[in-house]
Amino acid sequence: LSTYARRATHSAASPALAHRARAGRVACVLASALLAAGCAGRDAARTEASSSVTSTTIALVDDAHQPLRLQAPARRIVSLIPSATETLMAIGARDRLVGRTDFDTGPAVDSLPSVGGGLDPSLEAIAALKPDLVLGWKSATDHTMHERLAALGIPFYAVRAEDTTDVYRTIRSLGVLTARTPAADSLAHSLRTELAALHASVQGRPAPSVFFLVWNDPPMTAGPDTFISQLLGVAGGANLFGDQAQPWPNVAMEEILRRDPDWLVLPQGEKGGANSVERLRTATGWRELRAMKSGHIITLPSDLVNRPGPHMAEAARRLRDGLHPELAGR
Amino acid sequence: VRAILRLALLAAVLVAALLVGIRVGAVRLPVLAILDAVRGIGDPTTVAIVQRIRGPRTVLAALVGGSLAASGAAFQALLRNPLAEPYILGVAGGAAVGAVSAVALGGFLAAAAPVAVAAFAGAIAAVLLVFRIASAAGRALDTRILLLAGVVAGSFFNAVVLLFLTFADADSFRSALFWMMGSFAGATWRGDAVMAIGAAPALLVLFALARPLNLLAVGEDTAAYLGTPVERTKMLAYGVASLLTAAAVAASGVIGFVGLVVPHAVRMMWGSDHRFLLPASVLLGASFLVLADALARTAAAPTELPVGVVTAFVGVPFFVWLLRRRTA
Repeated sequence: LSTYARRATHSAASPALAHRARAGRVACVLASALLAAGCAGRDAARTEASSSVTSTTIALVDDAHQPLRLQAPARRIVSLIPSATETLMAIGARDRLVGRTDFDTGPAVDSLPSVGGGLDPSLEAIAALKPDLVLGWKSATDHTMHERLAALGIPFYAVRAEDTTDVYRTIRSLGVLTARTPAADSLAHSLRTELAALHASVQGRPAPSVFFLVWNDPPMTAGPDTFISQLLGVAGGANLFGDQAQPWPNVAMEEILRRDPDWLVLPQGEKGGANSVERLRTATGWRELRAMKSGHIITLPSDLVNRPGPHMAEAARRLRDGLHPELAGR
Repeated sequence: VRAILRLALLAAVLVAALLVGIRVGAVRLPVLAILDAVRGIGDPTTVAIVQRIRGPRTVLAALVGGSLAASGAAFQALLRNPLAEPYILGVAGGAAVGAVSAVALGGFLAAAAPVAVAAFAGAIAAVLLVFRIASAAGRALDTRILLLAGVVAGSFFNAVVLLFLTFADADSFRSALFWMMGSFAGATWRGDAVMAIGAAPALLVLFALARPLNLLAVGEDTAAYLGTPVERTKMLAYGVASLLTAAAVAASGVIGFVGLVVPHAVRMMWGSDHRFLLPASVLLGASFLVLADALARTAAAPTELPVGVVTAFVGVPFFVWLLRRRTA
């Protein structure tokens, strides 16, 4: 498997999406077989971050059920998760960050040293930053990152980032870990309020069916219980494949044509990518869709809509404005 | 005597490679700080980087490189096939099936060590299965049938892995994929010790088989006329080479190219006497993987390249150059 594929692995914001993106890009037999199904069963286990803050020590249980104790609020954080990096900045803890991944970009974080990819960072690059907390992907099957860091005496906190409850829980946990709970609570509150207001604005209106494109060849979409499907609902749309069992199902082009959605949501990454509108407009199957012919297409920056973090209200608003243009600006 | 000098030279190369492996990394460290850290003094972070990250990782790369190169040389002699390499008889496929089942069973089972254990078990099961298939075809072990059995079993294992990945969730998918790409990132001194304890006797057995392997490489009939216990040699070489491959794959996943090319390179440069070829392959293979891993860690630092990419990108041009030089 190529490095190219590996880059693709990390470039997506959530591991589940990364799974899709990677699979889509690996142009080899292996990948085409991998693609055939996608993720079976979602991990049911989810811990409510049980927090208890005594005078100095912070004790939490992370999303992979591992306990974490800090003697003091974290001051030197390496974040391996773009959405967690964004959350830290949103609660005013930018000054606590000492490291980022190759996929955290933008003026606010560019000055930080990178430790490589989020899933396979350079261990020694992390150690050299002397972090007192590392935020990493939660994995049900793989605790190696936790163990490797534990061997170096570096605390690790695993974050699950799949749906909106994960977003709220992570905001709360990061607030506790950095002793910025008031800011975290107010961020969570404003997100809840904004999403509620958006949802209220579409009440009583017919919900058009929406196909959300995760990857196009073979087609993959967001199933129920993903934050994307939840945001579509908030924005007054109905996920075309909300009936699927898997969180990130592969769906046959034939089935998309049969269901013929009212709208297409196409997240756009780098220009001219495989998911770009120009390319899909002429692609077999896609060009036959009613939404494609009538221009019922919503494009969003993929970094905005693929990261379950503090910008999800903005993503929801842009979806709502696309699906219900008469409400835009309200 | 010349052979001994050459081996000494290769050993010196390996020592230099190990020093380079500890010298370079994603983090720039001054030489003096590294020297202090080796002795355990100075900045605790530097000590941790040198002693707990770079040290075990570099040593593991050497152990795996040596094992794969020796195993490849043995398979090439045993199967009398220049395309033979450590994974040709389905060992890697079996290991992958073991590793992905451990990943699939998940949770508490799947900390790093159990995946390695499951991969090793899978590899050994594959060796036994292939041997069973091959020996069912006749009384004596026919290496052509062994080769066929290995290739068929390998394809089957690949299919099993694909089937698993098709239904895997994102977590397992990712773990399995990273495992299959091969990496030394998870090295620990304890793992290195286990690997060394397994590989050292296996290598000694292979070295002891050098003379019979020389004859086998010519032809089984010739070897038999000259009094070589052909069947026993084949079984022993097959078993030991498979064991080396199984240990290497369990420790670091599938790392291609070393086992194929290093023995050929030694042959082209210095001839194919296995008494020299085997130890020289071990030393050269070890140096090659240590340097390849050093490059993988630094080329795009802090992003790590898969070490298999480096072995192919560096190894292929070198091999082509060797081929051209030989024909010229």
